[in-house]
Amino acid sequence: MEEVSRLPWVEKYRPKSLDEIIDQEEVVASLRNILKTKAVPHMLFAGPPGVGKTATAHAFARDLFGDRYIDDGHFLEINASDERGIQTIREKVKMFARQIPMGGYGFKILFLDESDQLTDDAQHAFRRVMEQFSTTCRFILAANYSNRIIEPIQSRCAVFRFRPLVKADVMKFLKRIADGEGLEVDDQALEVIYDFSEGDMRKAINILQASASISKKIDEKTVYRVMGYVSRGEIRKILELALSGKFSEARDEVRRLLYVQGILPSDIISAIYRELFYLDLSEEDKLELLDLLGEIDYRISEGATPEVQLMAFLARIAAKGRR
Amino acid sequence: MSEIWVEKYRPRRVADVIGNKKSVEAFVKWMKQWELGKPPEKKAALLYGPAGVGKTSLVLAYGREHGYDVVEVNASDWRNEARMRWVVGESSLQATLDGSSRKIILVDEVDGIAGKEDAGGIAALRKIIDETRVPLVLVANNPWDPRLAPIRERCLMLEFRRLRKSEVLRRLREIARQEGIRVSDAVLEKIAENSEGDLRSAINDFQAITGGRKVVDEKVLEVLGSRNRVKQIFDALRIIFNAKSIRAARAALEGLEIDLDMVYAWILDNAPAQIPDPGDLADALEALAKADVFLARANRKQEWRLIKYAVPVMTGGVAVARRHKPAGFVKFSFPSRIRLLQSTGRERELRRNIAQKIASKLHLSTAKALTHMLPYVSFILENDGGMGKGLAEYFELTPAEVNYLAGGKIEKEKVKAAAPARRARRRRRS
Repeated sequence: MEEVSRLPWVEKYRPKSLDEIIDQEEVVASLRNILKTKAVPHMLFAGPPGVGKTATAHAFARDLFGDRYIDDGHFLEINASDERGIQTIREKVKMFARQIPMGGYGFKILFLDESDQLTDDAQHAFRRVMEQFSTTCRFILAANYSNRIIEPIQSRCAVFRFRPLVKADVMKFLKRIADGEGLEVDDQALEVIYDFSEGDMRKAINILQASASISKKIDEKTVYRVMGYVSRGEIRKILELALSGKFSEARDEVRRLLYVQGILPSDIISAIYRELFYLDLSEEDKLELLDLLGEIDYRISEGATPEVQLMAFLARIAAKGRR
Repeated sequence: MSEIWVEKYRPRRVADVIGNKKSVEAFVKWMKQWELGKPPEKKAALLYGPAGVGKTSLVLAYGREHGYDVVEVNASDWRNEARMRWVVGESSLQATLDGSSRKIILVDEVDGIAGKEDAGGIAALRKIIDETRVPLVLVANNPWDPRLAPIRERCLMLEFRRLRKSEVLRRLREIARQEGIRVSDAVLEKIAENSEGDLRSAINDFQAITGGRKVVDEKVLEVLGSRNRVKQIFDALRIIFNAKSIRAARAALEGLEIDLDMVYAWILDNAPAQIPDPGDLADALEALAKADVFLARANRKQEWRLIKYAVPVMTGGVAVARRHKPAGFVKFSFPSRIRLLQSTGRERELRRNIAQKIASKLHLSTAKALTHMLPYVSFILENDGGMGKGLAEYFELTPAEVNYLAGGKIEKEKVKAAAPARRARRRRRS
């Protein structure tokens, strides 16, 4: 009990088996079939963050190998974002895959999370590793964007597309947590949480837990307080600085977010996107800025430097703003 | 992912602090009195002297060696008395949360509060010196501003002078040894000489010159000598920003013995000051952003021929965009991004450590933990003691890490205080 009460809610309410996965009916149905036949292919889980890719991989392995799926060495998780070097991956994979599978299963599962973080080179090397060990090891890759996974890997995988979570289901799940934690949350608050979460369950649960740290009774205002703290305000401030011609200050703030706080560029861009519509600018200017934002978002996804691209965007805002 | 040597080779013990022996000894003696429970008559020490001679390092080293938390506040962050009282006043009277650790309060850039923007800052600091129950260390380059007189009276004045060339040289040799870099003494001597007794700049120069190589030959002497790096880059920048043709701008990089990345950083960070018109600046930065795209493509596809497009765009593109010039001469300055990374090194390290702990428990990457978990954990720690304590235990956070997340007002030795900014933000919102 002690242990459970300390758990962050994202962990406490993480689905343990495929039955508990929310939405994703098609994916779960296919995985059930696979479980039945025990013919496990290499798989690629693609979809936005916080919709259950990692949880599904674990749940699948647990349903397949039992509760001790990790302890007994059937399952290994590697996060590509932390270990970009293909050498580390190769070594880790080899170490894991070389040992003979135990318990009569015939294979193990290696789960490579955030696999779209690997460079093209690393992906090609990884592809060879996949081939080399495919008799004793099955690979599950998770990625936000399947188009960043090279074709030869995709073609070796069964691709499962995870959908953004449905609003009603997220709200239902949050209500379940609220009941479990003895909270009183009104529907308005749940709606706002969903809006902020953009269908990302991890984010939704975190917002709920942070809200609960202020009060057991949670309304819209509580949620806004949390979100005001978490990020929205900083982006707004940065855009205002740029608009009023204080480009260098805006730049320094962005750098602080990127390099000191470590905020992901994609999150900064999403927040800018949300704020853009409300800036004190003509609709023509907004359209032009949207166009540029879409452009730099794409450039960053292609490997350009987030800082530099954001600078160019801020400078454009400064040029549009009150002089 | 190279570490910044200035941080890596910061002295860990007082004995490692180079030079200024007398002031170092006097400081240790002053701290000993605190340690014996008999606070000295002067409850603050003012360490003054030029940059890069070890003032802050001495305090950090002492703290580390003798088990003090060094609470660092940067005076130039302060705007007024209320804020200053809040930050320094509170920690100078309170014990740390875990009660066990001892504290030194380090106020950096004291000469920065003498300006009129920080009205009341000096009076507040004076009062805090009178009231403090923990050692208060002030640092300044120039303590002789008349407005600092009331502070000076209350402080043990410790002067730090430029280091001797031999002292700088000794440290550079030691770093070369530890990094396994083969470099001749002539090169190190030249670096030491150019530094004019500023060890920090000497170490920065040394790191920049090696550029990750393990063997540094004497050819770099040409760069260091009459045409030293800084002068070289200044010349190049002057040509780039004033070029009449793309060809002329591109030519500025010929023969330059500096990384393309470094040149890029110099152009990027000098553009705002050199290009006063916002429209011009937007065009210039768009050119730089395009050059960045070309470089990224070249890297990603390993198609090195694509780099050739980046160079004219990042130089000539900027020159073409600069249709209006500043009224007078604006001097070029060191890239502010690099300075930011240096000055926030300790905070970034702390955040990374925390994120790693969280990531390992939650099937997340460190990057995701930083963005998607840290702010929420931080919020909870500030608001709900019980829930926060549970999380802190679950993630196995140290008291210093908890303190940092819970508002950052008291931070361990390894952290640079971002406290004032965080606090102000919160007040605005509540």
